[in-house]
Amino acid sequence: MKILVVEDEPKTGDYLKQGLSEAGFVVDLARDGKDGLHLALSEDYALAILDVMLPGLDGWQILAGLRRAGRDMPVLFLTARDQVEDRVKGLELGADDYLVKPFAFAELLARVRTLLRRGSKASEGDLLSIADLELDLRRRRVTRAGQRIDLTAKEFALLELLMRRQGEVLPRSLIASQVWDMNFDSDTNVIEVAVRRLRAKVDDGFPTRLINTVRGMGYVLDAP
Amino acid sequence: MSLLQPARRPSLSLRLTLFFAAASTAVLLALGYMILRAVDRHFMEQDAALLEGKIALAQHALRSARSVADLAALPQKFDDSLIGHHGLVVAVIAADGSRLFASRDMQVPESLLAPEAALPEAEFEHLAHAGHAANIRTAQLSAWQTSAGNFRGLAVAMHTGVASMAPVTLIVATEISHHTDFLREFRVTLWVFVACAALLTGLLGWLLTRHALLPLQAMRRTAAEVTADNLHFRLPLADVPKELATLAESLNQMLARLEDSFRRLSDFSSDLAHELRTPVSNLMTHTQVALSQTRSAEEYRDVLYSNLEEFERLSSMVSELLFLAKADNGLMVPRHELVRLEDEMRKLFDFYEALAESAQLTLQVEGQGAVPGDGSMLRRALSNLLSNAVRHATPGTAIVVRIDDSDGTHVQLEIENQGETIAPEHLPRLFDRFYRADASRHRSSEGAGLGLAITHAIVVAHGGSLAVTSEDGVTRFTMRLPAPRP
Repeated sequence: MKILVVEDEPKTGDYLKQGLSEAGFVVDLARDGKDGLHLALSEDYALAILDVMLPGLDGWQILAGLRRAGRDMPVLFLTARDQVEDRVKGLELGADDYLVKPFAFAELLARVRTLLRRGSKASEGDLLSIADLELDLRRRRVTRAGQRIDLTAKEFALLELLMRRQGEVLPRSLIASQVWDMNFDSDTNVIEVAVRRLRAKVDDGFPTRLINTVRGMGYVLDAP
Repeated sequence: MSLLQPARRPSLSLRLTLFFAAASTAVLLALGYMILRAVDRHFMEQDAALLEGKIALAQHALRSARSVADLAALPQKFDDSLIGHHGLVVAVIAADGSRLFASRDMQVPESLLAPEAALPEAEFEHLAHAGHAANIRTAQLSAWQTSAGNFRGLAVAMHTGVASMAPVTLIVATEISHHTDFLREFRVTLWVFVACAALLTGLLGWLLTRHALLPLQAMRRTAAEVTADNLHFRLPLADVPKELATLAESLNQMLARLEDSFRRLSDFSSDLAHELRTPVSNLMTHTQVALSQTRSAEEYRDVLYSNLEEFERLSSMVSELLFLAKADNGLMVPRHELVRLEDEMRKLFDFYEALAESAQLTLQVEGQGAVPGDGSMLRRALSNLLSNAVRHATPGTAIVVRIDDSDGTHVQLEIENQGETIAPEHLPRLFDRFYRADASRHRSSEGAGLGLAITHAIVVAHGGSLAVTSEDGVTRFTMRLPAPRP
């Protein structure tokens, strides 16, 4: 999948390109607004990541240009400013998401995947599974190797999130926001404790660990 | 000088000076007018008394004349009786208008020659003998001016002793130049006096105003010396008059508040520098050590992970500082939706459940209440208080949240935990940025020390207040938020 990144700050642009490329995307990088809009209109991208403050045209103008030309790919804004008016303006212009610098790369990756998934209808089956772990959404039941596992409501929601996005590293902030609706950084290790307890129920006593900690980034559910 | 001239300001001392001068001038003018009137009346009274006597004499002479021949001898009689009265003139006018007698040089004004101008004899007698002299003065005295001088006189119609003769008009007048001269001089003196008095009171008023405003000048000088470096300056209260004392006190209180805010701000700057220096120096030394020799990929990865942790701490500190900066600049405008506090608390209990259980803490919420506010901000504020309580609670105890909306104006929310008592000297500064009651507490065990400052900022942005008490092992944060308008 092709992603366009428009970012004038050299280091940020480079690491965004490298990080997204290594995550399996094809990335084009533009260093200013005019090149960015030109690229966006001449190529076919699945997603655009735009910095707000850019030389030439700013992020808002690129977005307006895209929408005028009938391009409706999802657009994610990066900004150093976090003003409510900016968010409102972005959303009015048709931006799909908004990340304030500094952000964790895992967070960006998770959001990019969310935006890309939005377009294609995700499988809404009743049963999620990985290796010998099964999660039955309808009956709210979890089994591993045929054994029933009792989970609290929040543990179930956490496991459901990890299973729906298996293989993806989910940052703590995303987990807090998706499972508990807490949209700010907590200065405690709440998520760590919650994941540890879930892991004790899901992984303890089984030869393979499915829930893994990615140091400094977050958690991932993956079969080895 | 600034290009923008300030609008013309009225000068207080000028206005007071003008007011004093105008007021004293008006009072003195009124007084002078009354004195002039009184003197004038007094002179008139004197004249009237004199004229009355002389008229009686003349009347007696006229009545005693039994024939025309007697009348012809009158001038001699009059001259005798009027001698010694300098300036007194007498005229007797017959009914046909001919002068029976007139003092030398006497010019009688036409107005007095008219028959109706003369006071009838009976009336004169009545007034003169019944002590109504005042009536004569005001009603019948007339004044006129001739080449010989100023005169004031009275005309009386009367019958002579000659039975066959028609009534005559007797006119007696006295020269009053010395009176008018005196009055003129008096008037001039009065004017000069009033002018001098006005000037003098104006001057005194100006001096007095200046003197009264001197403390203001002193205050101005002190205020001009106040800069960020010497906010400890206070206006002297000893010599300030009562009226200005409250102003000076208010200004002093303002200075005290500024000094406190400024101290907090500079503390904050140095704390900020310190908070930044530790992770930055960790990052630098760790990276330098790692690069000093070739290492395995595993070791490099370890360094990067360790760096990542520091970066994350820095990043969240920056976000929190930005949040606080927005609050400071009034840019944090909470939305106003109805937030049910007990619901928010239950959601937060869900969030902190795992953490609380691992610390063997129970979480309870009692009561209920709703406030208008920004749900996500309030949740963040409550989350910080709850995480603070969880962090400092003694294992095995309960964290109790009480919500009380019985007071109509405010909803009160208390979060109470049992744990170490916070020393009283720390309590007022607990909401300061980077402030930690326990200076030795290791920073990695918690956030940057901004959580309570953020909570405080959010509560203030909602028009509420936040307080903390800590006694006998119970620490209680009390949040008061305005209740929804009915």
